[in-house]
Amino acid sequence: MLGATTLLLAGSIAARASRDGPTAPADRWWAPGSNRTFPTQADYADTTGTLRVLLTGGPLATKGHPFFTPVGPNGRACVTCHQPADAMSLSAATATERWQATGGKDPLFAAYDGSNCPTLPQADRASHSLLLGYGLFRIQRPWPPRAAKGGAVTPDFDIEIARDPWGCNSGKYGPGAGNISVYRRPRPLANMKYLLAIGFAYDPKQGLPLALDPETGKPVSGNLMADGRASTLDAQMRDAAATHLELLEQMTPTDMARIVDFESRIYTAQQADRTGGAVDIAGAEGGPAKLANSQAGQLGSIGKPVWSEFEAWEKPAPGLGPARAAFRASVVRGAHVFRDKTFLITDSTGINAPIGFGNPVRNSCVFCHNMSQMGNDVAPGQVDLGTTNQPFADPMPWLPLFRITCRKAPHPFYGRVIYTSDPGYALTTGRCADVGKITLQSLRGLSARAPYFSNGVAKDLRAVVDFYDRRYTIGYTEQEKRDLVNLMSVL
Amino acid sequence: MALLAMATVAAAEPPETVRFITCPTYRDTDAGRKSGCWLADDRATGRRYDVSAAPSKPDWNHEILVEGKAAEAPDRCGGIVLDPVRTSVLAGTCTRHMLPAEGYPGNRFSLPKRDVAPMAAARAVPPGPYSTRTFRLFFGFDSAFLMYQYDDYLLDRAITWIRAAKPRTIVVTGYAASGPETVSGRAIAEDEEIARDRAERVTEALVRLGIDRGIISVRTDTRPRPVDDPDADGLVEASRRRVDIEARF
Repeated sequence: MLGATTLLLAGSIAARASRDGPTAPADRWWAPGSNRTFPTQADYADTTGTLRVLLTGGPLATKGHPFFTPVGPNGRACVTCHQPADAMSLSAATATERWQATGGKDPLFAAYDGSNCPTLPQADRASHSLLLGYGLFRIQRPWPPRAAKGGAVTPDFDIEIARDPWGCNSGKYGPGAGNISVYRRPRPLANMKYLLAIGFAYDPKQGLPLALDPETGKPVSGNLMADGRASTLDAQMRDAAATHLELLEQMTPTDMARIVDFESRIYTAQQADRTGGAVDIAGAEGGPAKLANSQAGQLGSIGKPVWSEFEAWEKPAPGLGPARAAFRASVVRGAHVFRDKTFLITDSTGINAPIGFGNPVRNSCVFCHNMSQMGNDVAPGQVDLGTTNQPFADPMPWLPLFRITCRKAPHPFYGRVIYTSDPGYALTTGRCADVGKITLQSLRGLSARAPYFSNGVAKDLRAVVDFYDRRYTIGYTEQEKRDLVNLMSVL
Repeated sequence: MALLAMATVAAAEPPETVRFITCPTYRDTDAGRKSGCWLADDRATGRRYDVSAAPSKPDWNHEILVEGKAAEAPDRCGGIVLDPVRTSVLAGTCTRHMLPAEGYPGNRFSLPKRDVAPMAAARAVPPGPYSTRTFRLFFGFDSAFLMYQYDDYLLDRAITWIRAAKPRTIVVTGYAASGPETVSGRAIAEDEEIARDRAERVTEALVRLGIDRGIISVRTDTRPRPVDDPDADGLVEASRRRVDIEARF
């Protein structure tokens, strides 16, 4: 817990525009191959306050550790794109800082996926505009999709290129050569026990019991990766090593076990807000320690309500300054809006079909963001919000656009033809009904890792709220929007 | 209150059973989450029914097949309450139609009786001795999708018993109600292929729940008879659309 003195110190440091909190490492950027000790607790200043990173089980010497060591030819390590100061993700702001600090020479900007397309002139800043502007990496998926066990998947849709602004869906990078390129944000590698937790044996969105890991035969949570292409940390690691690290050989079992051990011990969450103060005082239970110490996989509706960590702030502490009291009250209201403000959810596969909730169905944010403490989906969380599919997606001329034609049954809501900037889960399953489904995002450490949504289209938390407000015609008041933003900023 | 008047069904008479095709109407009452009403008008009689109790609910873009029995229940939505009831989403398209609450309170959400427990909740081990037993799962029209808070519950019950009983073989029989029937003046019949889809889907479900695929054999039947099973809720026609899981020793 941050004491009052520490908080004041954090505030004064923030006021001096330093980006590090009082216990932060001297260097925010964890360069691959550096010889440092990862502490059990590190605080980083972020856009609204202080992010805390906890490593349970003691500090870690990073020298030679495979998470921190460049194992492939491009000089990157896992930590390159999963930075502690960015809640184990990578913000667009950090990418821009690295460009400025290194003149674009950082391995982060590797041609393979740190540029808009390897065919572009790599020294030009414009060739990396998606990473610098939106925090997006190129994700090259096989077309047609391949099953987790390696066999071919026969898709029930055709894919054509309607727009290819960077040339990376043409020629040897295009579907004719067996490839599709989409652009996505890196997901945070932290709080993993929540993303791996299994609450129920069944996946109601698929109408089947949970899928099994082809290697172990055990059920998997289905909450890793935007398109669900890997269902275990091992599988995710192999995918990342072969693509982002450009590692040609397999990682060793020992290295993989060490990485999984590290990933399983990392927790991140906002620890303090510049206005609201520490999030784990006055009875509140925010911050990563609560995450580390809680059981994962609980459904908020039958247990601890989602974001009830801030309930105690409903009664202002005596002597609290007006600004701090107002902020905390706003967070509490935001949690209520998140849980209780219902609206009509329409035409969203994974919610309105085929699960049987009906189209429309009245519910709130917590309908999908339903896991206590974490706000991800207890069930596998593949849902189409419309962030990538037209007509719901915002115009994004900087992204490719695909024309999907369903060969068998039409999509339940879009019909036979769908225009999308990222088919999402459909690139894994090969089903047109899954076009645009993206696995629910983690909601912790948000202030440290803008922009948001898988395609980085929401530049800040207000843009996230505005998207939902437009998409589902919710009609949030200005106050409700501010309250939701304040809530999300302290998660 | 008039709006809360009982949709009376004479106690001495068996409950009215209805089966018709129509476009659904959504009434946007707001009694909290999942509280909206689904209404369905039988065009042949002009009666409006409340089909909100269906385990799998309508899509306002599509026609639905309604199968249900009138219940003695308060009218909270603006229609005769059907419960039990099934609504199957059909391919035919509809013009979306939403009514305001108009004073109807809607249905405050409560967990349905067939709600599967979390994995952490211990299942009571069914006592032996064990002998050949058949479990059934029921489906929407022309659908092989295992319905949430219905089929998952029935499957969970089956797998709990099967894990305890350890049968030698399991026969999974998928049925398709492929014999044409006239509903709302229209001949409807399930695709015969749905029988295999259902059987294969349930086989996959059993395998995912730990059953050795090698002990499962798959059969199909495209002329099923109705079954009198408590989990079919007395809906005769809907009981044809099923999968039987027969555990043998």
